[in-house]
Amino acid sequence: IHIFVAKIFISFSFISKNSYGSQLGCTFFSLQPVRDTREKQVQLWKELILDYCKTQKIFVIGLEEEFPLFSNPAIERSLTHEAREAFLAALVSEGRAEWLDKGHRKCLILWHRIQDWADIILNFVKDYGLENSVTTVEEIRSGPESRGTDLQGVDRIILMRALKLLEHKGKLAIFKGTSADDEGIKFSS
Amino acid sequence: MRRRPGIGGLQTAAAARDQYRLLGENVAKIRTDLMKEQLATFRSQLEDFARKHKNDIRKNPAFRSQFHEMCAKVGVDPLASNKGFWAELLGIGDFYYEIGVQIVEICLATRAQNGGLINLQELCSLLRQKRKGSREAVSEDDCLRAISKLKVLGSGFEVISVGKKKLVRSVPTELNKDHNEIIEVAQAQGFVTVDELERRLSWTSGRAIDALETLLKEGFAMIDDGHRDGRRRYWFPCVSSISSLGGSDA
Repeated sequence: IHIFVAKIFISFSFISKNSYGSQLGCTFFSLQPVRDTREKQVQLWKELILDYCKTQKIFVIGLEEEFPLFSNPAIERSLTHEAREAFLAALVSEGRAEWLDKGHRKCLILWHRIQDWADIILNFVKDYGLENSVTTVEEIRSGPESRGTDLQGVDRIILMRALKLLEHKGKLAIFKGTSADDEGIKFSS
Repeated sequence: MRRRPGIGGLQTAAAARDQYRLLGENVAKIRTDLMKEQLATFRSQLEDFARKHKNDIRKNPAFRSQFHEMCAKVGVDPLASNKGFWAELLGIGDFYYEIGVQIVEICLATRAQNGGLINLQELCSLLRQKRKGSREAVSEDDCLRAISKLKVLGSGFEVISVGKKKLVRSVPTELNKDHNEIIEVAQAQGFVTVDELERRLSWTSGRAIDALETLLKEGFAMIDDGHRDGRRRYWFPCVSSISSLGGSDA
């Protein structure tokens, strides 16, 4: 319940413009020095980041860019770069995120793990009877069937990883398409 | 005639003392008997009262509180045991047991946030939310009674008064005078700064920082370095109220 209560806290202060009751939210934006408190803070932010990215369909966070979750104008607080990096690094350790560059400026967020994305694709194939058929990577993420599903607009890097995982398991084959940047997919039966 | 303290005189005096003593004891006994009789009358009247107003006692926290006061005055503790006349008549032994368990649950659940120190008002509010749909309303007085029962179980619960508020401590860590003073200062805005403590309490910064470090370490306070004046603020969840996020601007 404490995460739940704290989440209400933070989400309330994000949703609402009034700062009453969100004063305590100020502390969530400062890296806590006491170890036990820090652990809870990190846990809270990890869950928040995953939830937020999932609902907003965000796949990449740029640490040097503005990111609404990391600021709360109502209480005039923002996460420092150090704090952002600390929380994202915690997600990376847990396998729920990956750094896209050595400088840790961009972070890929796996609010579904790659394995989960692979399962989603398999269900997609089953639901639409796509066994043995051919399609393109772009179709999977923006075709009419993708509408309303998690696959719609999914990040290409993530999609390719999931597809490669499935290829490795023999569920499909990836081949070069007619245009330079569009691979084709043939699903197994 | 001058009285001579002869043996006879002493014996007379002793006999007289004895008689006075016996008389005194008799008077005391009569008084005690009278009192016992009065108390017995009170008690049976109280029992009649309880029988007649059973529902009110169960449903109305203010009424219940006054009932407890009456009981206390005649030396009756309806909560003394889960069995027996009172418990059976009113069934309120279970009521306080139930609240006690729920209070422990709430304190455990919020410990990560407040270190084990929660203000009574907030505890009560969370308790009401937890019990939504239950027929029996709970008051702060009920919470205090339930907590006093918990104390008897040795569960480390303590109610402390700091400034205008009552705080419920559910961890063994005790607060010293300096800590209490800091929390009292924090009640104004929910936080304190080292400067403020130095100013208001005429402390050295060393004394302030030491006390604050302990409060931080125990999880009763958290830091906030984000204010534009650059001064570190120490926030105290136990003086704020999470559950009072009433109005929806969402």
